[in-house]
Amino acid sequence: MWRIRMHGRGGQGIKTASQILGSAGFYSGFQAQDFPLYGAERRGAPVIAFTRISKDAILERGPISSPDIILIGDETLLNDPQSAPLCGAEPTTIIFVNSNHRPKELSQKFEVITANLTDLCLQRLNGRTIYSSALSAVGARLLGTIELEDLLQAVEDELPGVSSQMLKGNLDLAREVFEMVQPVAIPQRVEKALTAKPLVFPQHLPVVDGAPIILDPGNMALRKTGNWRVERPEIDYDHCNKCLICYARCPDGVISLAPDGRPEIDYDHCKGCLICAQECPGHFIKTVRETGIFP
Amino acid sequence: MTTSTNVHKKIKDLHPNEAIAPGTGLCAGCGGLEGLRLGLKELGDDFLICNAAGCFTLLSVYPFTPLKGSWLYTTMGGSVPAAQGVRDALDIRMRYRGLEKKEDLNVIVVAGDGSSNDIGFGATSAAIHRGLDFIYFCYDNEAYGNTGFQLSAASPYGSATQTTPSTDVHEAGTEINKKNLFEIWKAQKPAYLATVSPREPIDLSNKFARAKELKGPRMFICMSPCPTGWGFEPKEMQEIAKLAVDTGIFPVKEYFEGEVVHTVRPRKRLPAEKFLERQKRFHHLFEPHRQDEVIGQIQKRVDDYWRQYE
Repeated sequence: MWRIRMHGRGGQGIKTASQILGSAGFYSGFQAQDFPLYGAERRGAPVIAFTRISKDAILERGPISSPDIILIGDETLLNDPQSAPLCGAEPTTIIFVNSNHRPKELSQKFEVITANLTDLCLQRLNGRTIYSSALSAVGARLLGTIELEDLLQAVEDELPGVSSQMLKGNLDLAREVFEMVQPVAIPQRVEKALTAKPLVFPQHLPVVDGAPIILDPGNMALRKTGNWRVERPEIDYDHCNKCLICYARCPDGVISLAPDGRPEIDYDHCKGCLICAQECPGHFIKTVRETGIFP
Repeated sequence: MTTSTNVHKKIKDLHPNEAIAPGTGLCAGCGGLEGLRLGLKELGDDFLICNAAGCFTLLSVYPFTPLKGSWLYTTMGGSVPAAQGVRDALDIRMRYRGLEKKEDLNVIVVAGDGSSNDIGFGATSAAIHRGLDFIYFCYDNEAYGNTGFQLSAASPYGSATQTTPSTDVHEAGTEINKKNLFEIWKAQKPAYLATVSPREPIDLSNKFARAKELKGPRMFICMSPCPTGWGFEPKEMQEIAKLAVDTGIFPVKEYFEGEVVHTVRPRKRLPAEKFLERQKRFHHLFEPHRQDEVIGQIQKRVDDYWRQYE
């Protein structure tokens, strides 16, 4: 059995990637299982998805803690403690990162394979960064046991309702990535026998302990959402006329006013929705692609 | 609306207070969050929000809260009863237990369209009937967004949701019309009732400034474009909100002392199509073939609505 774990952000098509890979495996004659795992957060927040592909019946359930392949769609997640994409990796684990960086720059500890899927997606998908077909194509090719035509069939099946132009873009993208990546040898593991866990009996606590109470107003700011960004808005202060449209339109309220009346963006929290850049009447806010690893 | 009560005239008049700290798990480009942010700017920090389960559950994720005021989390149907309880407790403590007047709080219910139109609807009607002194903020993204965008009573005709996709049998997607929550609430004559759009911050702030001075049930319905569920890029949120107003699909109005006034009127209404074609949930109306009948129906409803006021 091959266990594949995918990491990315909500809205990047990570869940769909696991579905495409699962279906592609199924069409190539294997048994497959795929499912996502995310918290209550939405678009931009870390997402994990899993695919199991096997010649025999898959009896294992639940999240994959020691994967054979890890596919990371967003390199900014590498150091994210909440997502922890390298958790459970062993020296033999195949790790793929969508990045423009050289593998050594990304991890000292692990051998990493990289390719720049973002630029390909931007090109093929009309300026969007949705990695569902690209990332599943990487997975399918790394396994080496899935046929291209099965992958393309899976892409078509798992993307219902997209426009014909978008579907063509996705199919071209899957084909291109499939031909770009080389299969790898995945070491066979000795499967451990499944054992039953002892029953756990829940303890009853008094209401004071049971009901969560927060006594520190506004402490949400301790959570940095700045690493959600794909692109960063930058204000051109030479031209900014302090009209404050950006300040009024920012849903997260991360644009504040400096004492001299200039709007200032809080990059620790800016989620990169880019409404400010879109709404600036003079187009004095430019957008710059975020690269590298968020500290 | 009489202009003398409009305290805000331009963007620079917006209250500088930010009652919501950044860092919430809500989607980038959330229209509802923008509406609530602008509203709370006006109301100040002395509030207690009774939050119905929904997208805004994510406002506070234990052990974090973005609010400078208090927040009480409730079930979908329980937010208004909770507000009644909190209001009563405050009143009793002020009357008999020496709680000072300055310690009083604005009791606010924050609920989504699912909670407002379906699950919490009965309790809300009862609270308006009793004249409960509270502010109700409904962020209307026209479906159950938090669970993956399923049909609610606020989903508009012709839109696709997870439970009403466009199929061979049901080509239009959603085949029933959106519930007219404004008219339903209006029938009970609350102290104040208004629809607001995040794209109209000045209008929104003026409405909250007015509501703040009143007593009794004060109801808000906020058009909340949802990048995730409606299917558009987060950066387009404000444009979509603007199109909703400019096409006349979302009338920005208020009800006060028995009269309905449109506070932002589109000068020349754009065709409804302009709003529809930008969103994935209406995509099936244009591709693979154009569903002229459905688009015509949507346009007719908009025209019929505005004819009453022209």
